[in-house]
Amino acid sequence: MSTPSRKRLMRDFKRLQHDPPAGISGAPQDNNIMLWNAVIFGPDDTPWDGGTFKLTLQFTEDYPNKPPTVRFVSRMFHPNIYADGSICLDILQNQWSPIYDVAAILTSIQSLLCDPNPNSPANSEAARMFSENKREYNRRVREIVEQSWTAD
Amino acid sequence: MQNQDGQPAEPETETISSLPTSEVNDWANYRDDEVMQQHSAIQAEEAGKIPFVGDKEPLSSLAEEYKSGNPILLEKIKVLTEQYAAIRRTRGDGNCFFRSFMFAYLEHILESQDRAEIDRITVNVEQCRKTLLSLGYAEFTFEDFFSLFLEQLESVLSGKEACISHEELVQRSRDQSVSDYVVMFFRFITSGEIRKRLEFYEPFIQGLSNTSVEQFCKSSVEPMGEESDHVHITALSDALGVPIRIVYLDRSHDDKGSVSVNHHDFTPAAHEVTDANTGGAVALEPFITLLYRPGHYDILYPK
Repeated sequence: MSTPSRKRLMRDFKRLQHDPPAGISGAPQDNNIMLWNAVIFGPDDTPWDGGTFKLTLQFTEDYPNKPPTVRFVSRMFHPNIYADGSICLDILQNQWSPIYDVAAILTSIQSLLCDPNPNSPANSEAARMFSENKREYNRRVREIVEQSWTAD
Repeated sequence: MQNQDGQPAEPETETISSLPTSEVNDWANYRDDEVMQQHSAIQAEEAGKIPFVGDKEPLSSLAEEYKSGNPILLEKIKVLTEQYAAIRRTRGDGNCFFRSFMFAYLEHILESQDRAEIDRITVNVEQCRKTLLSLGYAEFTFEDFFSLFLEQLESVLSGKEACISHEELVQRSRDQSVSDYVVMFFRFITSGEIRKRLEFYEPFIQGLSNTSVEQFCKSSVEPMGEESDHVHITALSDALGVPIRIVYLDRSHDDKGSVSVNHHDFTPAAHEVTDANTGGAVALEPFITLLYRPGHYDILYPK
């Protein structure tokens, strides 16, 4: 069935295949264009360097007027990521706009990794450590990076 | 969004600071996204009480709304009644300016069958498409919104097989899958125009929100539900070349206590029409009139 949201998601996919931004990849699951798997690579020269973090994006027929639900599947330690993997990011909530495609969403999440917003903590331990004990914070991030290689 | 009794709303901060500390602490147990979800649920419930675009009502319904309210407002509504016959309310969901503009414009085309106006605006819309492309927007992110608007435009012109009735226009404006797409189309147009004329808009935007033009467009123009200000109106009017009259209904009055109702015409910058006889510029009378009450826009119908 071809609906406006499905047609748009096909174009999102095409763009991601032909012109992929550095350090991200994503594709719809085999039989379901509304459910995507994605991977974000930790940006170079940061504590996240080398990490491969898996996510899922669940779209509805309201896309692109409504954002997808995006969740990390990999375990994370980050001020703006909840224990269940959901993400506190303005463009995925009240600042959403149809100008964002899947590539733009994943790029925004990638830059959130190194540039957390300590004012809206989703993980208060990570938020506190980020502002009070950067050394310990970076150590915990490295742990998460190492886990991302082995976890399924 | 509008204030039913015409009384000023209590500032929210006051309510919050008067809460006992324990309750404030309780809030810390709620996740941000849950709070936001609840907030939007409340908004949706409020908004659900009125359709995106309401029925045409006589202006007396406005007087009725302020019956026991502020006397200045009542006085002003009396003045309005001399010039205007009716009001059509729109939902207070942050999109009311764009939604009002959408309906008023399409209704005007439906009733006037002004082919020249359609040809004119189509040229402007194509120009806006080029603007967005030159600003680096990916075409596939906005093309559906453009096509849907152009489709609506064609459909209100008779002589076309798909020409729709007035009743159907009302229905479409209430159908989210059409209405929200057109609102978003206007948001794209507005954002593109502001970014294109960055130097012109920068001082206005700094005055409003003290943010960069880029940030303003990202946070106050492009997301659905973000309210419109004179910056949005100026940009939309300029980009599409459509003059818009805004009539202000607020509690302002002069020192002597006499009331008059102010209006402001947003006249597109590039909309100079030359008079064939005198060669001088003619100011175009806006065919779209909106009523502004602090925080909300509705459509007004002149007598």
